[in-house]
Amino acid sequence: MSAPYVTWQCRTCGYIYDEAAGDPAEGLAPGTRWSDLPDDWICPLCGTAKADFDMVEL
Amino acid sequence: MTAIPDEIARTIIDPFAYADGDRVDEAFTWLRREAPLAQARIDGFDPFWVVTRHADIKEVERQNDLFHNGDRSTVLTTIEGDRMVREMMGGSPHLVRALVQMDAPDHIPYRRLTQGAFLPQNLRRLEGRIREIARGFIDRMAAQGGTCDFARDVAFLYPLHVVMELIGVPESDEPRMLKLTQELFGSADPDLSRTGGRPVSDREGVDSIQSVVMDFMTYFNAMTEDRRANPREDLASLIANGTVNGQPLGHLEAMSYYIIAATAGHDTTSSTTAGALWALAERPDQYARLQADPSLIGGLIEESIRWVTPVKHFMRTATEDAELAGQKIAKGDWMMLSYPSGNRDEAVFDDPFEFRIDRSPNRHIAFGYGAHVCLGQHLARLEMRILWEELLQRVASIELDGEPKRMAAAFVCGPKSVPVRFKLH
Repeated sequence: MSAPYVTWQCRTCGYIYDEAAGDPAEGLAPGTRWSDLPDDWICPLCGTAKADFDMVEL
Repeated sequence: MTAIPDEIARTIIDPFAYADGDRVDEAFTWLRREAPLAQARIDGFDPFWVVTRHADIKEVERQNDLFHNGDRSTVLTTIEGDRMVREMMGGSPHLVRALVQMDAPDHIPYRRLTQGAFLPQNLRRLEGRIREIARGFIDRMAAQGGTCDFARDVAFLYPLHVVMELIGVPESDEPRMLKLTQELFGSADPDLSRTGGRPVSDREGVDSIQSVVMDFMTYFNAMTEDRRANPREDLASLIANGTVNGQPLGHLEAMSYYIIAATAGHDTTSSTTAGALWALAERPDQYARLQADPSLIGGLIEESIRWVTPVKHFMRTATEDAELAGQKIAKGDWMMLSYPSGNRDEAVFDDPFEFRIDRSPNRHIAFGYGAHVCLGQHLARLEMRILWEELLQRVASIELDGEPKRMAAAFVCGPKSVPVRFKLH
């Protein structure tokens, strides 16, 4: 059984990346795991680096 | 170095060109095509670069060490106006010191003081109350018998009420807060300014804005004292009792925090909401699509924000020599980030002058980008989503009932009057 989907949040602007929903506008299909986003991926709303996101429970 | 033709340069700083809409759009379209990053040299102003492309605005906004907010005025001002502000403020180019005027190391700790309150997960608990407020305004609209000025009767008042409740300002003081906000942002508008919109000297202009700021400070100073003595669950208590690096906020910084919340916190959402209804009244097909499929509301919101782009510019200052879009920027150069231009950039948006609720992707930069991206963006989206969910259920059709008007301002503005006729379900 695969691990449950989790959500990550940008520390700068509060943008939420939900693995279950992905972000189709950014070309990320539903189900895309955080670990599958490249290290140089940046927040689509404010440009914050991937390293400056926190895993959050909503 | 490319200089912008004088007529174009004067248009993009003319409050009445923004009131007109087309005039400023044409000037920025010309600039994006012919001189996307060039200097404006206008009598009475220090030269400044005009950054018109979406990608270049993001490039400046993401490099917060290279392009500072606070080194010079964050809003375009005349040489004489700048001199007077510095004289009043002990050398500082700012009448207030809010997040907008801060850089590292102050910006992040000051932002974190209230950031939690504006995160989507923490705003969710407000949804029920915001819906109640939205329903109240739609009830009032419905009671007006089929016509209203949507800007004045709904769009100005609804976000105002939400934000004032969050801050902790009593409802009886809301008209005063609205008037002060409109006097601040509408200082060039004949209908809104404290000086009646007549041409004024730099001295009168600065004095007028300073007197509005002082009125805000007098009000919020009393509120600070109250919240220190009687803390509540509101933003005012957070500001009054908050600490940054273990110390209470400085007086100017605390007053500025209130002022930005009490002005930008509602005016920009009001403008966007009024502009969206104006656009939909002219496009009944898109209004009908929204009624048939409310899942399009998210797209409507993003397109409305792009369409109106209520913040017209902010200024940045280069801290080092730099290169941007092939131009040499010198240390100390002043840069105007032209958000309406970035949000009409043909390189990013197909048919940018068309209003499309299904535009996707729609990565506008109306909230800015980088560390200074709008703190209240999630609240703005939530307020608009709830209002549209309620309005679409109640209002069957809507059309213009006269000519809408925009406020005259080159910094922050949107529609000031949107007369409509409507039918209820």
